[in-house]
Amino acid sequence: MTNAIKNTARINLETRSSKLAVQNLRKSFRSQRSDAPILVFENITFEVHASEFISLVGPSGCGKTTFLRILDGLIPHDEGEILLDGKTIIKPGPDKGFVFQDSSLLPWRSVIDNVIVGLELQGVDKREARRKAERYILLVGLAGFEHHYPHELSGGMQQRVNLARALIVEPQVLLMDEPFASLDAQTREIMQAELLKMWRQTQKTVIFVTHQIEEAIYLSDRVVVFSARPARIREIVKVNLPRPRLLSIKRNKDFLDLVDHVWDIIQDEVLKSMGREREEGIF
Amino acid sequence: MAKQERRVPAWLRSTRTVAACSVIVGVGLWQLGFEGLARSPYFKAYAIDHFLASPWQVIQSFRELYQSGELLRHCYFSLLEFVYGFLLAIAVGVPVGFIMATQKKVNNYLDPWVSCLYATPRVALAPIIVVWFGLGILPSSLVVFLGAVFPIILNTYTGIKSVRQNLVEVVRAFGGSSMQVFFKVMIPDATPAIIAGLRLAVGRAVIGVVVAELFGAEAGLGYMVYFYSQRFQPGPVFVGIVVLVVFGVLTFIALEKVQRWLSPWYTYQLRQQIQESEMA
Repeated sequence: MTNAIKNTARINLETRSSKLAVQNLRKSFRSQRSDAPILVFENITFEVHASEFISLVGPSGCGKTTFLRILDGLIPHDEGEILLDGKTIIKPGPDKGFVFQDSSLLPWRSVIDNVIVGLELQGVDKREARRKAERYILLVGLAGFEHHYPHELSGGMQQRVNLARALIVEPQVLLMDEPFASLDAQTREIMQAELLKMWRQTQKTVIFVTHQIEEAIYLSDRVVVFSARPARIREIVKVNLPRPRLLSIKRNKDFLDLVDHVWDIIQDEVLKSMGREREEGIF
Repeated sequence: MAKQERRVPAWLRSTRTVAACSVIVGVGLWQLGFEGLARSPYFKAYAIDHFLASPWQVIQSFRELYQSGELLRHCYFSLLEFVYGFLLAIAVGVPVGFIMATQKKVNNYLDPWVSCLYATPRVALAPIIVVWFGLGILPSSLVVFLGAVFPIILNTYTGIKSVRQNLVEVVRAFGGSSMQVFFKVMIPDATPAIIAGLRLAVGRAVIGVVVAELFGAEAGLGYMVYFYSQRFQPGPVFVGIVVLVVFGVLTFIALEKVQRWLSPWYTYQLRQQIQESEMA
């Protein structure tokens, strides 16, 4: 009895100290060809502290993006619970800011009108929203481009708008789905450094999905490594590199060791999944 | 510098100048050919002037028809039929296309009908519609409607079906309702396709006006064309045809302007796609 009380007390304490808690999450898809559901991931449990930067990496197709979409409430999951500030996430809303892989800007809206989409959907007065947007456009470094249209912007600039659009709703957690994947190498590096700067300024809790291990380690406090499908958490790698981090840290020995470590896990997972498929005679 | 001077000036090389020259030369050849024919012994013998008119004669006929007020009267009736039929086609076509695209069950019921009616030659329907509704504006408007409604339905359907899901997801991710998804994403993203449907429909609507008036009408440009061809007066016949062509082309261009005004982003996107495909 006392034990049970102790347990609940401990859980309460944990949920209070954590911003976002994912407990035993499980997701499967029903495939169209067979009746047997395909398991995407299961037993996903971890916690994210307030203002923490977490990255999610794993072999291609392991369900990282699906996981992020579930966190946002865009698609349902089978089992488990997601708690944001102790409350269950059931549907999308302004408490989460989603940064999409392709910038997904509305082509008929100017930069400023794309940024205010989230506020507009909440019924905020347009003029007030635009005033607020100025601040965020400045933050992402797009001042002077307010009235440009998406097709007039470079890929990097479009992703800045994408980011401002998510930040303006003042979300409790920022969910980023490979936002720099389609950028060229140089722009990507610059955007990474700027993202860290903005993160320091806004103190947001960030979940960042990427397939780039270097990127994950450079940005994050902790890197959650998923296994191949059906995914489970293979390891949560703590990144003990000092902040603020300059881009030059990527040549640092400790940094490269971490990259190697995560690479080893993922390579191992990829080979394992290929071996299994070979056994089943798919290849 | 010297090389620059030898080149043809820009205004002469522009697409518009070339297009205008092409038309002028074509009409000129028509006039010359007619003059040549008129000087041949066969002209009077075979009464060719009952079958052919020169551009100059067409202009003469135009002036006569215009001054007598006859042309305007015919234009008025044809325009009325066009407007009634076309507006009704929009009012029916856009909602039906939208419902078919979003409600799978409704689509299953409607699809065979739309496909069959789309493939039915409206020319074949016109006589029976005239039998049902008699002479006048109503049957003609209905034929126009039948011609115009199907391209509008099909294009609205395609437009809504090809709304980009990632854009829908943006609105959903920020907590937007279905209504907000509809108004803030689906309508704007489908607008170019819907207007493309309207542009296809214009041509069919003009055909509808003429066909309906051929089978039973007391006024209208189609009626005028038919009336004068039966009396072997090619001048007024060509006047009717030219007016119909000009009207069709102007409406087509006007709708393009509407599209550019409503969705300027789409024009750019198209251009970009063409550039990409040329580079590939």
